[in-house]
Amino acid sequence: MAPRYQNRIEILQGTLDLLILQTLQWGPHHGYGISQAIRASSGEILQVDTGSLYPALHRLERQKWIVADWKLSENKQRVRVYRLTATGKKQLLSERSRWEQLSDAIAGVLSPVKREGV
Amino acid sequence: MKFPWKHQSKGQDLERELQSHLQMAANDRIGRGESREHAEQAARREFGNVALVQQVTRDQWGWPWLGELLQDLRYGARMLRKNLGFSVVAVLTLAIGIGANTSIFGVINAVLLKPLVMEDPNRVVYLQESWQNTFGNVGNVSVGNFADIHRQSASFASLSASNNASFNLATEGAPERVQGELATADYFTTFGVQPILGRVFTSEEDQPGHEHVVVVSERLWRTRLRADSSIIGQPLRVNGEPYTVVGVMPKTFDPLLSESDIWIPEAFTAQKLADHDNHYLNVMGRLKPGVSPAQAQSELNVIALRLQKQYPLDDKDRGLVITPLTTVLLGDQKVALWTMLAAVGFVLLIACANIANLQLVKSRARQKEIALRAALGASPQRILRQLMTENVVLGLAGGVLGVLLAFWGVSWIVAKGPAEVPRLAESNIDPTTLAFACGITLLASLLFGLAPALRSASSQLSQAFKEGGGSSSGSRDRVRNVLVVAEVALALILMAGAGLLVRSALLVSQVDAGFNTSGLVVGRVGLPDAAYHDPIVARQTFERIISAAADLPGVQSAAAVSRAPLAGGGSSNGLLAEGKPFDLANLLDAQLQIVSPTYISTVQIPLKAGRDFVPQDTRDKTLVTIVNQTLARTMWPGGDPLGKRFACCEAGPKGRMDPVWHEVVGVVADVRAWGLDRRVQPQFYLPIAQMPASAWDWIGRTMDVVVRTQGGPIPLNALRTTVASIAPGVPIYGVSTMQQKISGTLARSHFDTFLLSIFAATALLLSSVGIYGVLSYTVAQRTRDIGIRMALGASQTQVMCEVLGNGMRLTTLGLVFGLAGALAVTRLLSSLLYGVSSADAITFVVVSLVLTAVALLASYLPSRRATRIDPLVALRYE
Repeated sequence: MAPRYQNRIEILQGTLDLLILQTLQWGPHHGYGISQAIRASSGEILQVDTGSLYPALHRLERQKWIVADWKLSENKQRVRVYRLTATGKKQLLSERSRWEQLSDAIAGVLSPVKREGV
Repeated sequence: MKFPWKHQSKGQDLERELQSHLQMAANDRIGRGESREHAEQAARREFGNVALVQQVTRDQWGWPWLGELLQDLRYGARMLRKNLGFSVVAVLTLAIGIGANTSIFGVINAVLLKPLVMEDPNRVVYLQESWQNTFGNVGNVSVGNFADIHRQSASFASLSASNNASFNLATEGAPERVQGELATADYFTTFGVQPILGRVFTSEEDQPGHEHVVVVSERLWRTRLRADSSIIGQPLRVNGEPYTVVGVMPKTFDPLLSESDIWIPEAFTAQKLADHDNHYLNVMGRLKPGVSPAQAQSELNVIALRLQKQYPLDDKDRGLVITPLTTVLLGDQKVALWTMLAAVGFVLLIACANIANLQLVKSRARQKEIALRAALGASPQRILRQLMTENVVLGLAGGVLGVLLAFWGVSWIVAKGPAEVPRLAESNIDPTTLAFACGITLLASLLFGLAPALRSASSQLSQAFKEGGGSSSGSRDRVRNVLVVAEVALALILMAGAGLLVRSALLVSQVDAGFNTSGLVVGRVGLPDAAYHDPIVARQTFERIISAAADLPGVQSAAAVSRAPLAGGGSSNGLLAEGKPFDLANLLDAQLQIVSPTYISTVQIPLKAGRDFVPQDTRDKTLVTIVNQTLARTMWPGGDPLGKRFACCEAGPKGRMDPVWHEVVGVVADVRAWGLDRRVQPQFYLPIAQMPASAWDWIGRTMDVVVRTQGGPIPLNALRTTVASIAPGVPIYGVSTMQQKISGTLARSHFDTFLLSIFAATALLLSSVGIYGVLSYTVAQRTRDIGIRMALGASQTQVMCEVLGNGMRLTTLGLVFGLAGALAVTRLLSSLLYGVSSADAITFVVVSLVLTAVALLASYLPSRRATRIDPLVALRYE
């Protein structure tokens, strides 16, 4: 297990919201499920700290981008399940495009340096 | 699916949500083949600090502090319940401090802070004449001067005058004396208050011959006129003459705080308007909008100069002064009341210091709890906030109890307080006072809680866990010591203040009134002008009354006097010693007493030289006078006053410059006519049979009848029937014994002394508890040290001396600071003191000794406990 912890990358400030919204795009999820999904889809690299996850979930809920409901899970456990709202979907789109702009910009900054160094 | 508990508590929801997270994580691990125990542990480790996650998540809800506040409040209440002993002591101490402060503030608010009940009271000023080189310096205004000022001044929207008078009122039943005022038509306009019924008088009614109208107070209307709303236009017999009721003023209308019940127009005659010599008017003005008091004053200075030139005989050296009406009416109350508030403020500070000390002990015991909270992720700010909330809970409990105490305190002060304090009866716990109580409660919580809380919140974690609890931390003791020193210092200041008042009250009680006060009964009789206008009739009526009173059973002798000692009021005259040129600067202002020949013997004023008055001293003989020692000494320093003459009181047949001489035939002892604690003024007596006819107008045909009884009860009914049989329809009023009058004049200072002594005693008690607490704690903390030293051979005396010495060191430091503070502070009390300097050495020494003795006692108990320490037990301790 130890190597995986070393590979963990701190999630960039502000990107956790995007990851949560993106994860919820595929359907409602509880907090644990969201953290597992992010971990799995990032190839075990992105580990969501609960101390960031739950504040983020409650913040998004307050912004009305997601709503929460109490549901019974498969093993008859009461879980709080989050679901994307219509405004949440719009928000996801705009966050995604902002993220793409940002990563393009960063790539643009990084690649000339790389070329010179090669 | 909806769960009924969903809306119950968001906090519980969150907890469940996180729990479900943990459980799912554990289940997944179990599914991967881990053991249940291992899986749960790992899930928990992976999750992190549940409480911290909860807290940072809650912060997203908005209003994060509100939830925490409620949490803290609940927690604080729980902590207080857990430490019940501490809480009870702290809450009671606080309640006493807050209750006393709130009570005194309730009084100050009613007496000093509430605006006078009138339109814009800040624009109303009181106008007085000043006269250089005389005592008193300011006084009432003459009618002539008032008329001229009224004509010439442009600063006032309205300028009015009144003089206090009392009237015989005939309603159903016995005739009654009521206090009232003669007032000019502008009087009500000046204060801007409308009647609740009818109208006030018009300027036409303020003319001679039209003045038979009366405005009455709500109180008189309710108590004497059956609150009859058809009273307007009805007749009322005042001083035996018919008047018409034109208006009823509202209950709150008491602009001069004189409790007037009726107002009658002044209706100055032309003769009065020309009189610049008799100074008896209250003059009140409302400044015109835009005119500042300074502008009005400078205009009045110009008018005063004009008056001085125009009427040099009357107005030479006379100036005009305006003062805000509020200052004139309430200024005297300031020193005593603010002193009281400062005193209770000190008591509260001492209480806070005590509680802070208790908190420091407690915070030590809680050090580990707090360290644990910090280890679990609570930030120092968060811990500080929680501790402060606990203090606020404590403070609020004390505050609520304190306000309850204050309800009782205020009603006690209203019931027992001196009657002469204006508006005292209006004291209550109103919203302003409640706000004050809340303010001091929060302030107190901050004061007693901040230091301990800061200390706890910032304490180092590692240190807290490392410390075995045996050794002491030095800086904490220093804070506790500073608090105790401050308590002692504050207590000493209070005790010095109270001590000075007590000493001055003792001195006053030994003052010789100047006459025999026991068995003396005084009552006032006023003859109405209409039926008794003739001076001879007036004099004969009084002579008949006193001779009939002297014949009453149980009465030794009776006399009449224009103003009995300690009855308040009186008139003063300028006296010119024979041989001095007529100039205002040479006049000696002296109090005049017009007396029946029996007066000096009845009241038993010791005759120091010469003779008493005799019935043969009549108008056709030599005009004679008896003077008091102060007058004799002032007018003829070092000389024999007998046979000397002075001019006063009236003008001879040749006009104003024609002196009328009075020959001194006797010198009597000084009488404390204004109160035992007041300075004696020059005083002279004129026999009733020689008084100038106009003097009957000065004294309003009203005299005090003085009766020397053989010690039995007050012959009130006998006096009433006697007066009524000689002067039908005339009441005798204000009947009381001389001793009642004396205690009446002292009631105020005795009350102040009593209150301040209580506060000082409370301060002494609290600070001795403080000393006791600190030393007990030190002894408990150093049990092991002391045990070791005793095992190594230290004697019990050595151990005891060390603890006592510790207490005495704190006390001495407190005494030094306290004495310095007291010297600075007691100066403010000077105006309340009699015969003792505000830095009186005896008082300071005595209170220091008392404080030291109490401190010694408070140190003795812990020191004895120290000597009982068994070295073996002590070494095993902890």
